[in-house]
Amino acid sequence: MKRSWNKSIWAGFVLVLAGLVSYIPVFALFPITRDFPWVNLVLCAAGLALLGSGLTRAFRTPQLYRGKVFGSVLTVLSMIGVGLFCWVLLYEARQLPASNAAPHLGQKAPDFTLPDQDGKAVALGDLLTAGAADGLKPGGVLLIFYRGYW
Amino acid sequence: MLKVHRARQGLTFPLLSDVNTEVIRRYDLLHAGAGPGHTDIARPGEFLIDRSGTVRWVNLTPSFIVRARPEEVLHAYDSSAQH
Repeated sequence: MKRSWNKSIWAGFVLVLAGLVSYIPVFALFPITRDFPWVNLVLCAAGLALLGSGLTRAFRTPQLYRGKVFGSVLTVLSMIGVGLFCWVLLYEARQLPASNAAPHLGQKAPDFTLPDQDGKAVALGDLLTAGAADGLKPGGVLLIFYRGYW
Repeated sequence: MLKVHRARQGLTFPLLSDVNTEVIRRYDLLHAGAGPGHTDIARPGEFLIDRSGTVRWVNLTPSFIVRARPEEVLHAYDSSAQH
């Protein structure tokens, strides 16, 4: 008797993969899905549920469904992937230095001079008095420290 | 690189580079070994500074995937401008 393909295993694996790879190119672009990756976690949870049900029927009714071996492999891979995803975004992302000596409210911001995108030296004091190149008088300066391109 | 990135993103404000992490250290924002190849980079941080050079708002996120939203910054600016 021919056993049928266990579609929910494949669908589950594809969902988990989509949930893992879509964070950076898609969901990290919108604050509401970036600050907590709930869309990705929902996709992964749905994928793991499908994998679980596919694996269950592969083991309970192996005469009808395939997938005992590859279903187990894909499930383990998915769990490792989801585990790593959660570890990086929910734990590792929070391991930041305390920065207790960073300038506080009401304190003078330490002045500095750094090269801009054209290599021209720019001082914080210049930005506060003259503003950026648009010629408008500044109401202040927003200083953003970031980690590279993001 | 910064020039291309700035043009591509349509940014009108200057992008400064702190390759020696001098200012990053002065602001106590160094995240040692967190960059590619265990290089030192900055932890994310945002400071709103008024015309007199005084810090009016600080945002030091507890997680690098959580950043200040534009409306938060505008709100901080509006409420600090009233004083």
